[in-house]
Amino acid sequence: MRLKILVVSTLAVLLGAIPGVAHHSFAMFDSSKQTTLTGTVTEFQWTNPHSYIEIDVPGEAGTVKHWSIEMGSPSILQPSGWKHNTLKPGDKLTVILNPLKNGDPGGLLFQANLPDGRKLGNGPGRGPK
Amino acid sequence: MAGSLATGRAEVPSSVHGKAAALLLFVAMNVAAQAPPDFGGIWSPSRATGPGAPAPASPLLLKPGYKEPYDARRTLEREASARGEQLAAPGSLCAPYGMPTMMQVAVYPMEVIQTPKQVTIIAEAFSEVRRIYIGKAQISLDDVSPGYYGRSVGRWEGDTLVVETIGINPSVRGYQGMPHSDQMRITERIRRPAPNTLHDQITIADPVVLEKPVTYTLVYALVPNYEMVEFVCDNNREYVDEKGVVRMRLGGAGK
Repeated sequence: MRLKILVVSTLAVLLGAIPGVAHHSFAMFDSSKQTTLTGTVTEFQWTNPHSYIEIDVPGEAGTVKHWSIEMGSPSILQPSGWKHNTLKPGDKLTVILNPLKNGDPGGLLFQANLPDGRKLGNGPGRGPK
Repeated sequence: MAGSLATGRAEVPSSVHGKAAALLLFVAMNVAAQAPPDFGGIWSPSRATGPGAPAPASPLLLKPGYKEPYDARRTLEREASARGEQLAAPGSLCAPYGMPTMMQVAVYPMEVIQTPKQVTIIAEAFSEVRRIYIGKAQISLDDVSPGYYGRSVGRWEGDTLVVETIGINPSVRGYQGMPHSDQMRITERIRRPAPNTLHDQITIADPVVLEKPVTYTLVYALVPNYEMVEFVCDNNREYVDEKGVVRMRLGGAGK
């Protein structure tokens, strides 16, 4: 129960409960859905205001679909175990994300399963700690 | 006389010694009582619960002419949010938040550097910096260039640093998105009620826009040993479409 309260309050801060303010509302992502993708990293952007994973995901009949996955900022990600060089082009990766509501191939990271077996979340209250 | 030679001091009546000692003690106690607390360190947004928690925010009461467009905008934001959209805000364009919003952005900490003449606050989010001049007089609003942080002067009232800020540009988005005039004055009462807790009680007065001042309190927790993380907003992949809605640019920066 205590943990639940902590997670809820952390999310409240993240989502900009008054009187603080969040950078953005995450409204464009569908938090009720989770999509799991496995593919090859093409780029890892360790940047502000957000970090991004660019990933090619193989589909049917040899097609490849490119996805852009938004993450927190480096400051938000570091406590979850991320570093500037956690990913590099060519890495095989499985990600769980909340997809964009408009159906475009993008989403908000929930969890990344790294090649070395680690499972990293996306800051407080999102994915494994 | 022999005694004074032995000690190397001029002979002084003992009653004078006693008075001098009492005076020194009084001065020392007074200095100790008035020595301002140290707010230096890294502070992270927090929530206070239980005894000692600050009062909830007072209502935001806008004057007629300002209230209607503000309410309409909030309605549009709520409707957009329900559709899964976010309307453009300064953060979505990588613009700084300015005062007073910069004092608490999401979960980002701030660094307080305190010297006798200046308290400097560096917010990690967007690397915003403000300087509070201690003991200096406020200058005329006419002499302050309107900006994101205005001009802040501070004075100690016991254990509380009272800060007055003027000169926030009306184009800077206000508390909860409220409009404000160049007459906006922000008064902060910053104190450290416990070793690991900092409170910033913020009062916004604006005789043009507000029916009465609005007051709210931000709470922070000390984060020992934290090293501030660089935050330069140089990869903004959010953009605002023709409808004023924030979108995410796909496929990598510059593509």
